[in-house]
Amino acid sequence: MHELSIALSIVDGVSEELQKRGEPVLHAVHLRLGCLSGVVKDALLFCYEQACDGTALAGSKLIVDEDGSEDMEITGMEITER
Amino acid sequence: MSEPRLVEVRRNVLKKNDVLARELRERMQDAGVFVVSLVSSPGAGKTAFLERTLTDLGRTHRVAALVGDLATDNDAVRLARSGAPVRQISTGTLCHLEAEMVGRALEGWDLPSLDFLFIENVGNLVCPSSYDLGEDLRAVLLSVTEGEDKPLKYPTIFNTADVAVITKLDLAEACEFDRAAADRNIQTVRPGMQTFALAAKSSEGVQTWIDWIIDRRSVAIEERSLARIGAG
Repeated sequence: MHELSIALSIVDGVSEELQKRGEPVLHAVHLRLGCLSGVVKDALLFCYEQACDGTALAGSKLIVDEDGSEDMEITGMEITER
Repeated sequence: MSEPRLVEVRRNVLKKNDVLARELRERMQDAGVFVVSLVSSPGAGKTAFLERTLTDLGRTHRVAALVGDLATDNDAVRLARSGAPVRQISTGTLCHLEAEMVGRALEGWDLPSLDFLFIENVGNLVCPSSYDLGEDLRAVLLSVTEGEDKPLKYPTIFNTADVAVITKLDLAEACEFDRAAADRNIQTVRPGMQTFALAAKSSEGVQTWIDWIIDRRSVAIEERSLARIGAG
């Protein structure tokens, strides 16, 4: 069950991307998740909310797009400027 | 508030780990250390296999090991019997090792004084698959007591490994282990995968494995120096 570690890595990565863009409000994160990545989507969604708590990602949604790869890639963020 | 807009990001989730792993790999290659990581389920015989490898390989090469566990330093104590330098990484509740833990555990170690470093991951066939530790070679262990279909049940870890090692071969008969079925399953998940079968206790098959990793290290060093000449 390493989905919590993965969720925390998503939080780290997205926080950095938000900083680069002047800390806009985040609504959703798009993630491309390969079925060979060894990460279970449902478990990841469960951990995501907890991992986001108290960060700039709090309240955002994780939108997972599954494919046949080994990858785990943050592909997009839905944001509004402050 | 205006409608949210979608901005494109291209970022690997494990970027931080991958960057650290790449740095580790560079450091190890510069120091001439060949790094082998071991993954398996708990109880597959990683520690016995490693103890045997450290003892036998240690006669001709300078070897060391890092060993990951949730708790206790039992494995480090066992492995130290081989005479090789060993450090324990206690992960607490974490189910896998990450590159950062390996980097931290290596602090103060004189890397150029080593030929081989072995990293024994936490016993787990799922989580370690996602994390690059900067190793040259990842070996997945499968004991004859586990059943021949482990590769089919845990394809991801077999896919990320470079070599499969069937352990506890001395128990094969008692367990009615079907070697042909195990090989077939390994090849189904990872076609062309190099496989060894051995028994750490009786040493059966161990020398073949040791000769092979010595050879792999020589090839890696040669490739590295060719790349340097090419770059220079």
